Amino acid sequence: MHVLKGPFISTIAALAVGAMVAHGQGFSSSAAQKRPLVKTDAVTYLFPEQVNVPANKPSQIALHFRIAPGLHINSHTPTDEFLVPTTFSIPDGSDVRLESATYPAGTVMALPIDPTTKLSVYTGEFIIQTRIVATAGNHLVEAKLRYQACDNNQCLPPKTITVAIDVISK
Amino acid sequence: MRSIPVRRNTLVLSATLLILAIFAWAGWANWEYRRQQAERLLANAGQGELVPAPDAGSAQYVSPLNGKPAPAFALEDLNGKKVSLADYKGKAVMLNFWATWCGPCRIETPWIVELRQKYAAQGFEVLGIDTEGDDLKKDDKAGWAKAAAAANKFATEEKIPYPVLLDGDSISRDYGGLDDLPTSFFVDRKGVVVAAQVGLTSEQEIESKIQKALNQ
Repeated sequence: MHVLKGPFISTIAALAVGAMVAHGQGFSSSAAQKRPLVKTDAVTYLFPEQVNVPANKPSQIALHFRIAPGLHINSHTPTDEFLVPTTFSIPDGSDVRLESATYPAGTVMALPIDPTTKLSVYTGEFIIQTRIVATAGNHLVEAKLRYQACDNNQCLPPKTITVAIDVISK
Repeated sequence: MRSIPVRRNTLVLSATLLILAIFAWAGWANWEYRRQQAERLLANAGQGELVPAPDAGSAQYVSPLNGKPAPAFALEDLNGKKVSLADYKGKAVMLNFWATWCGPCRIETPWIVELRQKYAAQGFEVLGIDTEGDDLKKDDKAGWAKAAAAANKFATEEKIPYPVLLDGDSISRDYGGLDDLPTSFFVDRKGVVVAAQVGLTSEQEIESKIQKALNQ
């Protein structure tokens, strides 16, 4: 067995080096491939992922979201008719019905270059208080949050993300 | 010297080769994953880069279309008339992609209107391309009608004197994806893109790019 020891150790060492090299390459020239200005995951749903509610009775669920740093999204009541409001919904036909959604008040801000135009926005983390009614059973709800995000100089298109919640109703 | 049982030797060798194979696969899988991540990022990047401006010291957007012919297109204006980029050959053109829900777009529009008036006599035109409906489905007629009505209202309120074209989303891929608005391309009289900008800049910066397109 000792005759295999040398080649064995050499092979292990060579493969270890190879693995380290493969680990290091593949995405090394990040400067050339930098993504300028594009922020596609402006809003992330945080929690809850699963809730337990009584069947056929309204239940209050607080939904937590986070907005990427440096961005803002319009509140549910933006200051201009052209602006896209943040809206939460549950598709029709689901075994879970959205009875109501209460949105937080927006923060009033203005873009530095146009201090006279006021915007009502959300930044950082925000919570939407919902009341849902679910039939008995285990339901994977794919609710939706529609929003439109900007920073101080540019805007991303309106986006709808899926808010997946496992609703267990007994 | 004691002889080594052949059976045990084979077992050890097989185990060794298996471990080596796992190492090799892990290394390859890691590299392949990172390669795909890089490709995904590059595809999403709109292929543009921010580079430091040579004089101002602030970053400027460099489009991959710079120096290349502006991609051809034909879109309907607010009256349903087909307008194509080719109609403006021989003129310097600013292709201004915007949307009614874009606050920075609304801020720069009066600047663009003013500059258009200033340089129109020298053969400069603006095409305002409404890029409203990124999440509108193609068969959502009500949604598209609402978007067109919003664009019409915006153009009226801002007293926009230049053509406003609809459905900019249909040509967004040719122009690098248009993930951010406002985005503008400055095209010279020969139809070549000479400058581009993403986001709100300044009236002075827009004017300098217009002058570049007019070759001044």
